[in-house]
Amino acid sequence: MLLPGLALGAPAQGKDKVVFKVAMLGEGVDSLNPFLGFQAPSYEMWGLTYDYLVGYSMKDMSPEPDLATKWSTSPDGLTWTFTVRSGVKFSDGVPLTAKDVAFTFNRVLAKDSVEGTNWLSYLTGVKSVTAPDATTVVLKLDKPVATLPLLPIPIVPEHIWKNVSESQMKSYPAAPTGGKPVVGSGPFRLVQGSADGSTFKFEANPDYWGGAPHIDEVIFQFYKNDDSAIQAVIKGEADFVEGINALEVKKLQSQPGITAQNGNSPGFDEIAFNAGSTSDSKGTKKIGNPNPAVLDPKFRHALGYALNLPQLITKVYQGAGLPGTTIVPPNYTAYHWEPPADQKMTFDLSKAGQLLDAAGYKKGSDGKRTLPDGKPIGTLRLAARSDSPTSLNTMDYFKTWLGDLGIDSQVSTYSSSQLTNVIYKGNFDAFQWGWYVEPDPDSMLSYLTCAQRQHSSDSFYCNPAYDKLYNEQHVNTDHASRVNQIKQMQEILYRDSPYLVTAYSAIGEAVRSDRFHCLVTQPNPGGIWLEQYGVYNYIHMKPASDTSACDAAPGLTGAVKTSAPADSSSKTGPFLIGVGALVVVALVGGGIVMMRRRTTVEDRE
Amino acid sequence: MSLVAEPGLVAEGEQPEARSRGRSYGSYVVVKVLGSIGSLLFMLLVNFFLFRVLPGNAAQTLGRGRLNTPAQVAAFNKAYGLDKSVPQQFLIFLKSTAHGDLGLSVKYRLPVSQLIMDRLWPTLLLVGLSTILSTLIGVYLGIRGAWSRGSVFDKISTSSSLTLYAMPEWWLGLMLIAGLGVGFAFVPGIFPTGGLHSPDVNPSSLHGVLDTTWHLVLPVATLTLAYLAEYSLIMRSSLLDELGEDYLQTARAKGLRDVVVRNRHAVRNALLPTTTVIALNIGFVVSGAITVETVFSIPGLGLLSTEAIGVPDFAVLQGTFLVASAGVIAANLVANLIYGWLDPRVRT
Repeated sequence: MLLPGLALGAPAQGKDKVVFKVAMLGEGVDSLNPFLGFQAPSYEMWGLTYDYLVGYSMKDMSPEPDLATKWSTSPDGLTWTFTVRSGVKFSDGVPLTAKDVAFTFNRVLAKDSVEGTNWLSYLTGVKSVTAPDATTVVLKLDKPVATLPLLPIPIVPEHIWKNVSESQMKSYPAAPTGGKPVVGSGPFRLVQGSADGSTFKFEANPDYWGGAPHIDEVIFQFYKNDDSAIQAVIKGEADFVEGINALEVKKLQSQPGITAQNGNSPGFDEIAFNAGSTSDSKGTKKIGNPNPAVLDPKFRHALGYALNLPQLITKVYQGAGLPGTTIVPPNYTAYHWEPPADQKMTFDLSKAGQLLDAAGYKKGSDGKRTLPDGKPIGTLRLAARSDSPTSLNTMDYFKTWLGDLGIDSQVSTYSSSQLTNVIYKGNFDAFQWGWYVEPDPDSMLSYLTCAQRQHSSDSFYCNPAYDKLYNEQHVNTDHASRVNQIKQMQEILYRDSPYLVTAYSAIGEAVRSDRFHCLVTQPNPGGIWLEQYGVYNYIHMKPASDTSACDAAPGLTGAVKTSAPADSSSKTGPFLIGVGALVVVALVGGGIVMMRRRTTVEDRE
Repeated sequence: MSLVAEPGLVAEGEQPEARSRGRSYGSYVVVKVLGSIGSLLFMLLVNFFLFRVLPGNAAQTLGRGRLNTPAQVAAFNKAYGLDKSVPQQFLIFLKSTAHGDLGLSVKYRLPVSQLIMDRLWPTLLLVGLSTILSTLIGVYLGIRGAWSRGSVFDKISTSSSLTLYAMPEWWLGLMLIAGLGVGFAFVPGIFPTGGLHSPDVNPSSLHGVLDTTWHLVLPVATLTLAYLAEYSLIMRSSLLDELGEDYLQTARAKGLRDVVVRNRHAVRNALLPTTTVIALNIGFVVSGAITVETVFSIPGLGLLSTEAIGVPDFAVLQGTFLVASAGVIAANLVANLIYGWLDPRVRT
């Protein structure tokens, strides 16, 4: 996919620098140190700065050569051998070898290390990592691991990081200091920015092994509100905006020179139930006060027929998104299980009513449904997140639909951190939230295992049959049979319904296509332009002035095309206005001095 | 963000043997300084326990979808001292604070003191400039309004400053962005929509200073307009109180010009309450202006604290509240000292 020699190199000297300015929304960068940060924008920063052993395809995020040109596994699945690309250099000129890869992984594997907090789960079962020569990395495993070769850990230069002790690591900034860029081997170099800051500046790495990028700089500017970021794109202060909603995408689509879209992201939103809150992962003690009804899989499953998902997508998501089914989004075509027509929960209140009747939740004389033992269900407590309008609206609709079935409910709103507290105490019946799912669904599947109760599980779902399949697929290196197990797990979850997946969400994006073209979505087609798995577009996008054909991208379609330019704003304005503002301040100050002077003059008269 | 209190009322509890009449200014200063230090220490302790009631836990809120296994959660909590009990954390907090160390932000993994220093400058520029401008303009409007009470000027300035005061700051800011940042009809958008300066300029060069000024016009205008009424109304009403006084008659009888009577005699006497408000509000400059910082995407202290609440990032909250309370306490102390110096009656 990356053909060296195809790149045209940086524009000739004397021309203006080509700067790609991205307006970012939402959470900022939490750490530039790849061992520490958690937030999505941090991954984008590392992706530009560092390289990875294994990359992701643009088509469907399947593993693809990156630093590793090829890999093989022993027949017993306990030894993985990676061949590392030679001739790769860090930005300070030191060659990147297999030793740097082994060094990075061994820091993650060190017991109780802070490096392990972010990455340890990707090396589960790995006993040792060695580099027998400059181009070979060998992973020895205790037991086979199905998620390999997926290894999304940024490779850091050993000669720099070996000087960072374990105690320094927990606050090591890995930020540019004294004008020196952060040392990495990636396609760009971070020259300005710090974790809590709002501006990050990258310069292209002309010596990048995959060919120099076609742009000279990337600048990320973090905005704290949508309106300002959108105005910045309309005015041309920014070339790209990421994370806007569907209405804003619509607005930007009508602007000249801008191409906007809702890209399908590999995430889902769900209504989750309290499937049995317990004090620990073993289920020693029941805690919280879930309604007996939501503990019953039959009750939860029946409610799945009361959700009018197409209406939810139209009204709540403004059409940007797809009705949801299972916890593995359809973006991951290989792993997604789509319920067959006879099992699929479609909006049908009478069917929902029949299922509830059959499960014993019959209507009483007052028209309200009762528990199988005849006692009233009472009021279900639905929790929504105050920071998400989607969450609130979804739960309001859910309340209406429950009402149609003869079930009372009440929506309460919490901030995300408050809701986390409520969930871990088990004081809820249902809440709305969502997850992003990685290219390998293993970690997402693990969140619904018994062992994750009081850890990553937020529904307290526990089903031994599901756990058994989870443990089997985790060590199953036969792809076809593993896919089969993963699909069975989705089927179990669909039937037991600890989650009712409401939507596969979309991310709104807009690009100044009068300035940049050749951006390609991931997955292709239908996906997103930035915050992808990998940094393809930063390397392959071209300024509009470069009218040569886009880089060859076999099998990929729908690259952004240049559009007619909009009126560009004046560049001299800022300085004149800055001068003007200083003059105003001077006049106000001067006026006050004058007033005082005048009084003394008058006084003397 | 205003706090109107008579100096002398604040920190009144700390005046043990202040009963002797005609106490010297020196001992007054000592008592006030000691009282301020006491308040600050008290705030330090309150800060620690206050934020411990916040919901949430950093490993769960930050590590959602990242800290996938119990081992990862344990390593995270151990590295940042979150595995220790609250009394242990309190002892560590006392020890490190005594050494001038404000701790490590669990979200940004950087020293809190560094985060605060990064954010202090934007906040000082934004809120400091706005406070100065609104004081100057507000006091001027108040004087003119009171002196010619009921005039067209008075009616317009009072009603418009009250209207601006009643507007939510973020809404005013968004209106300014929509009007002057983006432009409408034939009005061009001449100001940037957010940020403290353009990403590719060096803020310490002349170019950078002009660029920063250009970026600050709208946010400073928003805050100045919003704060205006606070000063103009107090100035206006205290000047109105003076209008009927005999000494003004005397001054006029001496044949002084109206302007001199106003500025030399009336305003001097009416300035005291305004001075109090200004002194106290200056103390609040370092707490930032959360809504305006959000609307204009200015990375100030206000945003730092609000974002820390959701984690919760205890060290950052303790640090920013320490700075904010130190600001208010220091401004109070200064106001008290000036008052004691100006007016010996408050020393008792």
